[in-house]
Amino acid sequence: MDMKRDYYEDVQLFSSGVVVFWFVLLMIGLALFPLFVKNYYVYMANYMVINIIVAVGLNLLVGYTGQISLGHSGFFAIGAYGTVVFMSEAHFPFLLALIAAGLAAALFGFLLGIPALRLEGPYLSIATLGFGLTITQVIGRANIFGGRQGLHTPELYIGPWHLNSDVDFYYLLIVITLILVLAGRNMVKTKVGRAFIAIRDADIAAETIGVNLTCYKTLAFAVSAFYAGIGGGLYAFVLRFIEPEMFGLMMSIIFLAMVVVGGLGSIFGAIAGACLLSWLDLELRNILSIPYVGQWLEALSKSYFSITGVSNIQFIIYGLIMVLIMLFEPLGIYGFWIRTKIYWRTWPF
Amino acid sequence: MLEFIQTLVSGIAVGSSYALMGLAMVLIYKTSEVVNFAQGEMALLTSFLTYMVLEYHGFPFYAAFPLALVFAAFLGFFLEFAVLRRAKEPNILGMIIITIGLEMILMGLVSWKFGADPKTMPFPLSPYDSVQLGSVFVSALEVLNFGVALAVMLILFVFLRYSKLGVAMKATQQNNMAARLMGIRTNRILMITWGISSVVGCLAGLLLSPMTMQPYMMWDPMLKGFAGAVMGGMTSLPGSVFGAYLIGIIENLFGLYVSIEFKSVVAFAVIVLVLCIRPSGLFARHYVKKV
Amino acid sequence: MKMKRFLVGFSAVVLVLGMAFAVNAEEGVTDTEIHIGQWGPQTGPAAPWGSVARGTDAYFKMINAEGGIHGRKLIHHMFDDSYNPAKTKAGVKELQEGIGMFAWVSGVGTACGLSVVDYLMQRKIPWVGPSAGSLHWINPPREYLFAVYPLYYIEAKALTRYAAEKLGKKRIAIAYQNDDYGKNGVKGVAEVLEKLGMELVAKVPVEKADMDMKPHVMQLKKAKADAVLLWVTPTHAVRIVGTSRAMQFTPQWLSTSTCSDFPLMYKISKGLWEGVIAATFGELPDADCPLLQKYKKDAYGKFAAKNERWGLFFYAGILFSEPLVEGIKRCGKDLTRERLVREMEKIKDFKGIGGRISYAPFDPAQGYECRQGQKEVFLVKCLKNGRYEKLTDWMEIR
Repeated sequence: MDMKRDYYEDVQLFSSGVVVFWFVLLMIGLALFPLFVKNYYVYMANYMVINIIVAVGLNLLVGYTGQISLGHSGFFAIGAYGTVVFMSEAHFPFLLALIAAGLAAALFGFLLGIPALRLEGPYLSIATLGFGLTITQVIGRANIFGGRQGLHTPELYIGPWHLNSDVDFYYLLIVITLILVLAGRNMVKTKVGRAFIAIRDADIAAETIGVNLTCYKTLAFAVSAFYAGIGGGLYAFVLRFIEPEMFGLMMSIIFLAMVVVGGLGSIFGAIAGACLLSWLDLELRNILSIPYVGQWLEALSKSYFSITGVSNIQFIIYGLIMVLIMLFEPLGIYGFWIRTKIYWRTWPF
Repeated sequence: MLEFIQTLVSGIAVGSSYALMGLAMVLIYKTSEVVNFAQGEMALLTSFLTYMVLEYHGFPFYAAFPLALVFAAFLGFFLEFAVLRRAKEPNILGMIIITIGLEMILMGLVSWKFGADPKTMPFPLSPYDSVQLGSVFVSALEVLNFGVALAVMLILFVFLRYSKLGVAMKATQQNNMAARLMGIRTNRILMITWGISSVVGCLAGLLLSPMTMQPYMMWDPMLKGFAGAVMGGMTSLPGSVFGAYLIGIIENLFGLYVSIEFKSVVAFAVIVLVLCIRPSGLFARHYVKKV
Repeated sequence: MKMKRFLVGFSAVVLVLGMAFAVNAEEGVTDTEIHIGQWGPQTGPAAPWGSVARGTDAYFKMINAEGGIHGRKLIHHMFDDSYNPAKTKAGVKELQEGIGMFAWVSGVGTACGLSVVDYLMQRKIPWVGPSAGSLHWINPPREYLFAVYPLYYIEAKALTRYAAEKLGKKRIAIAYQNDDYGKNGVKGVAEVLEKLGMELVAKVPVEKADMDMKPHVMQLKKAKADAVLLWVTPTHAVRIVGTSRAMQFTPQWLSTSTCSDFPLMYKISKGLWEGVIAATFGELPDADCPLLQKYKKDAYGKFAAKNERWGLFFYAGILFSEPLVEGIKRCGKDLTRERLVREMEKIKDFKGIGGRISYAPFDPAQGYECRQGQKEVFLVKCLKNGRYEKLTDWMEIR
């Protein structure tokens, strides 16, 4: 099944009827999901889906093109602020504002891509990191962005629909995410995607066979920034309030972690990584209310640590999960998935 | 003019702690190409444990500080041996994520043990007494910090150039495979590098602690140290020290004369400019890839 | 698979909810229990403020040990949000839609609070005593939100007036944290100085991540300030004062209630905090206020964790929830949200361990008066070993 016989087999959206079946099932599941769960889980799904958008975009840059970015919270912030300001100041409708903000982020991505042409490794990570920090400083300075006191988002209308609950917003998010994920998947299957991969594997060799490095590297940055910008614009409406400090360095690091933990160079990996880490992010705070484990941890804190700091266990577990996944499977969750698949296909041999 | 000199001196003073962090990161990067984001937290753990033995267990200074250095070395050995070395088919991004994970674990452990209230470490030298040079003030602790940074740099220089172990470290860094063929146990060299680097970072932590301590105190110096190291060229020890001092000075001057809000950011902007001209930093030789 | 689990979970929830609704008149209240929610950062950079939530917890446990309120026990649900608004919102939704809170109390952080305020207000869920003295809560006033914490801006006014009028300082400057908290302080100082015909000689923003305070101190020194207000976190305040001492720059320091925990500040500044004047919204840790001592003995002594410190933030958690408890007490047996709001509005000159607290019937036209409970602060000066001297009595500032 994994062997591709010709080009068209490689680029087609669904490789077999089985995949179509699962895909349809997934779509139905996603559509019905909010009808059966508490609002809180819909909120969690929204949060996850936004991280999925960013992770898929970041994976195009990190996983496929082999660049590194520790500044994606900057693009995320541009998207968030851009959407809100385009809506409240320029009175754009939501979708237009969102796309405009995404393009603004893409422009910044393109600009950041230019110095990045000559940089790699730690040099590139510091340059992108600096970019992320600068953006939030600049936003915090400008009055149009509400300065450090933050901005409330306007009411959300799409045409005649007033989206004011998590469920409404969930459907919008699912549609946008689906479009973006499929677009991302298609992109990596085309000439552009192959150019990205060629740059990642050997940039000089790629250049000699006619891949325009300047063009494709900046394009990778721009596309990735566009995804982050769209994610940011949607995030603003999940929270209904934004302020510069939310878009800190830690956010960029978590985005990067999602991609790497999920599996570099795989759309599925990015989705899995985003789901896992955002789920941990929201749910780990409940760790002390798990029966037995919680009590044991509390007893442990009483005798060896401090009970006032017991919540920090969530960081330890978060870090531990990241470290363990990376230690045992350099391809992250995607690697586990591949291995499981192969194991069962060849079972019992 | 006096103001300018004072600011310059202040910049150098704060640069010392950046320099120590930068040196620590460069040591590890040079040998294993891992950017160690856990560097600050390794120092944090050591500093808080030192605080603990000083404050709660009544250790005297002369016992606590040497013990701290020994502990730091073992922490470095342990992390390399127990975690980093276990990575299967390591790639650079994976290693970065592992160090970030370690950072979270160490930070979590420290906050779990000590809570979030700010603390201060007892220290033989008051951090608030100052030495007066003409009409320029610099605190005694910062003079010490400066001295330590210079001493560490000199020791490392001598160590890497003249000791057998240092030469082995250099060899490992330049060509791991060849070094192994020459009979160097590169794994052990890596472990020792982590130990040394941890000690250097720990010095920075210990020298920052007499002011105030809280679990987030090492994050800023670590980033600035890293930035300084990148500016100087991630593979050059004197370069990283130079870069760190440069960042301290730029920050202070910019804060005084232009805008204090952007002072932390301007350092990064300068780095991007520097990197545009010299993609591998000021001091490192740019390595041109050959096909 | 996932679907099935959700279905099972959902039906369980429906069953539980159905059963709960059968007996309840009001969400979060049963015959024996009142559910109250609260968020607070136990982790992350704002974790020192986590003790606010733990203080409330101990306070509620004390009330329960004394028999509860009209036979009902207060069930306190607190969660850690790491000062991250996305997590605050998640936790609030989970508790509100899962267990169902009757009301919310305290809650640290301006951004965290702002991300959930609309959610709570739309559902008409009372929220009492946000622990940030921000103008956001009461401007415009909201019917179900009762603020307790006196505005940072009121504190700034009190301190500036004291420095200018009583101490005769001519050159007043401020070092402020570059966010909502600090900016409220700047606003207060600027207003008072303008009225007095003076000018603010320097305003120096401090970023939370900054650890090196030398450029900030240089700015203050350059402006030749003789009184400096510190609108920053305790750590930054200590660093600024310490760095200034090393540069032999010694103006009169004045600081907010955030840094008015003198025993702590004295200790971490190695004694430099002596002589600093601070505004404060509650009695000091060792004041001989009988109610405070009772809390120390019964709430802190019996229910606080072993290594908890009896500090300002801890009993601020008590202070912020006192009006809520008072309101619930006044409601008597018949407890609904609407009644709680009406009863809270009747609170006049209520005195707990803070200043006097009064609310008024909801009337947005009257400005924030009807929802800003405490408008009083008083000033104290730090003496040797963290002891203190009261400089003024409680004073109301407008």
